[in-house]
Amino acid sequence: MAEELNTTIQPVNEDDLFTFIDHDTIESEKIIAPRYSYWRSVFRVFFRKKSNWVMLTLLALLLIGTFIIPLFCPYDPHENVTRAEYFYKSPAEAISKFGFSLKWILGTGNVGNSISYGIWSSAKTSLLLAVICSAINMFVGIIMGAVWGYSKRIDQVMLVIHNIVANVPYILVITVLVYIIGSGFWSFVFALTITGWLGIAFFFRTQVMIIRDREYSLASRCLGTPIHRVISKNILPFLTSVIMMLLTRELPSYISMEVFLSFIGVGLGATVPSLGRMIQEAQTAFLIYPWAFWPPVVVAAMLTIILYVLGQNLADASDPRTHM
Amino acid sequence: MGKYILRRVLFALFSLLVVVMTVMLLVYSLIDRRVIFMADDVWNKRSNNEQAYYEYVQFQKYGYLEFVNYTNFLAQKYQAIYGDSYTKEKSFNTDRDAVQYENWRENASVQEFIATYEAKGYKVTYLEPIRYKDGRLKSGGTGFLLMTRERSVFLRLWDYLKGLITVETVRDVKDPELTDRYIRIEKDPYNGFFALVGSGTTHKYLVYFDGRFPFMHWHWIHINLGVSFTKYRDQEITSVITTPTGNLATRLTQYPAFVGTDRYDETAIDFYSLTYNNGTLTDQEKELYPDKYTVGKYKRDGFSMLENSFVIGIIATIIAYMVGLPLGVINARNKDKLADKIGMGYIIFTLSVPALAYIFLFSAIGTKVFNLPYTFANAQVKILAYILPVASLAVREIAGLMMWMRRFMIDQMNSDYVKFARAEGLSEREIFGKHISRNAVIPIVHGIPGSILACLVGAIITERVYSVPGVGNLLTTAINGHDNGIIVACAMFYTSLSVISVILGDLLMAKFDPRISFTTKGGR
Repeated sequence: MAEELNTTIQPVNEDDLFTFIDHDTIESEKIIAPRYSYWRSVFRVFFRKKSNWVMLTLLALLLIGTFIIPLFCPYDPHENVTRAEYFYKSPAEAISKFGFSLKWILGTGNVGNSISYGIWSSAKTSLLLAVICSAINMFVGIIMGAVWGYSKRIDQVMLVIHNIVANVPYILVITVLVYIIGSGFWSFVFALTITGWLGIAFFFRTQVMIIRDREYSLASRCLGTPIHRVISKNILPFLTSVIMMLLTRELPSYISMEVFLSFIGVGLGATVPSLGRMIQEAQTAFLIYPWAFWPPVVVAAMLTIILYVLGQNLADASDPRTHM
Repeated sequence: MGKYILRRVLFALFSLLVVVMTVMLLVYSLIDRRVIFMADDVWNKRSNNEQAYYEYVQFQKYGYLEFVNYTNFLAQKYQAIYGDSYTKEKSFNTDRDAVQYENWRENASVQEFIATYEAKGYKVTYLEPIRYKDGRLKSGGTGFLLMTRERSVFLRLWDYLKGLITVETVRDVKDPELTDRYIRIEKDPYNGFFALVGSGTTHKYLVYFDGRFPFMHWHWIHINLGVSFTKYRDQEITSVITTPTGNLATRLTQYPAFVGTDRYDETAIDFYSLTYNNGTLTDQEKELYPDKYTVGKYKRDGFSMLENSFVIGIIATIIAYMVGLPLGVINARNKDKLADKIGMGYIIFTLSVPALAYIFLFSAIGTKVFNLPYTFANAQVKILAYILPVASLAVREIAGLMMWMRRFMIDQMNSDYVKFARAEGLSEREIFGKHISRNAVIPIVHGIPGSILACLVGAIITERVYSVPGVGNLLTTAINGHDNGIIVACAMFYTSLSVISVILGDLLMAKFDPRISFTTKGGR
């Protein structure tokens, strides 16, 4: 082999390797940098972590469960209210009594309701609630926070409002509001969002203020950049990871809060199936009838953990400093 | 500094006022006021007009409205003319029964009654007699004639704020026999310490010290958060949450008349709680007490609701600070190593999972594996009943403190002063222990007053799961039981606690960190 190579390599004339190029004024103005797309880098960093794939798969399974299963398995908590022989049947009893089916695989609850159907319908309510409340709170909070942080006159007024509202325990606000306007999905959303955005707006205001007074921002203002361009090009890109982090804190917190509020009896009302309600109904006898208690708890815990971890990792990935 | 604190306190009072006003406006004007009768036995037993009349009586008691009953008006009128035997007068009876008939408006007394009170802004409310077809009255169907006047929410707020704090004075007792009226510091005969003793005040001991938390007790200044409507029928909420429960605690002690002698008696009466007896004393009371302060409460061996919550909360908080802060430091020192990863896993689990989930997990493990008592009521050894609630609370607090301590430590780790200290050759132990943690702990200090005061609010889920008789569920049970009095009281109580804790936190932080100053220093 070595001998063969030696024979094939011919001495080369150095002048043949290079060719002259004419000076091109247009071409010389171009700056060549590696192609960088922000969102592609975010996802590259995000998917580099193996645990994220696992979490995403689990989330996908849960989402399929919560949004597809209720379509085929309609849940009616009161279907067996009058039939006492259905109450609190363990999985084994339920299967032997009513035959093997998906409906009875997890046993029955306090009024003969199917646990396995119940957890999915309830999870759907919880997820919808979390998504709607986070969307409203984030939307209002970020816009108000941006304005609040940018305008000093609004800042003075808003600070007073915030100081007053922040002093009221949120449990008081929500319970009193639900008490007054009555329970139900949309009144619950109203109670959670009426003051919920203030916290986000305040947090966001501080972030905006920090970046607003940075040198580059000041420089572009001096150069006469209009405000909407300063906000959209100078400030908001910097805050993408902050927004992501806020979102990941918000989403699971509403699932937890619904569970908590339903547990103390200030929930969505008797007509809407929800995880908190299932837990609340089963908690009195959770040592005797554990099959009615633990499934909704586990679903709630899984939803919150997965959303939280995925969100944290996405927030990390959306910080440009991790893109190297 | 003083000016700054004054401004903060004034603003706090202002926001407190706004919050309480809003809650009162919401609760008293937006909710159907009749919900408070939903679980009222007296209301359920009555029917027809008597039920409606009972509603008016209750509404007046809770300050919704004012009304005058025609019968009372008549009684007053006739008593003035005929003296105490006015009920025997025939004209009184005809006037009284006039409202039971259709031509009630033609009666002269009725017209006088209406005219008198319409001038004062009252309106006529006539509850028509409800009869069977044959003319007999249905049960509770008697007719009532009332003059009613609504009270505005702002008046109610004013009344509430006026009654919020009462200070006992020497003119409180209306008994003319009592001539010697004073408030002075005396030697406490029971512990040799000092006590503020009053004569002419409702309580005898106005300020005194004893071995029970919070060691210094006040009867002098009384805070009245409001009156419960349904749950603790007409009791003051402050006394509901501070009255000890449990069995009578009898002990060998001396009655006030025998202090200094060698006579000891077995009794459960708490002599610090003595109040003035407006009636005549029995011979026994005259023997036992030197003065007319003879009405005392009984000592009990259990905690009050507030104490129960506070004890559990404060132990959990102390544990959390003692465990959480060092763990946070360890996590920060071993950033991205195994210890940190385990710590982060713990933090994520406890903070993201609904608190319910692991509190129930705790109670299941605690009762099954360690055989701890599950609920407060059926605990044989009372101390054991505290373990699970304290642990459940501490787990979450530890996670929160760990997270913040780790965060603040890591933020400080890249500072210039750390690099400088390292360049000077200080050991890592010294850098972390003396330099970083002292800076990182400053924001943590801000939360200390808050977490101590939060113990007074109680923990909702923990207390529910372990059925602790505490204050945590005051608000939630009030809402389920439509007890508007407690709701307003809770708004006042919770908001004032959080206002106080923010101010105290700021002051403590300024004490802790000399760089923080609330006043802009004038420079040249």
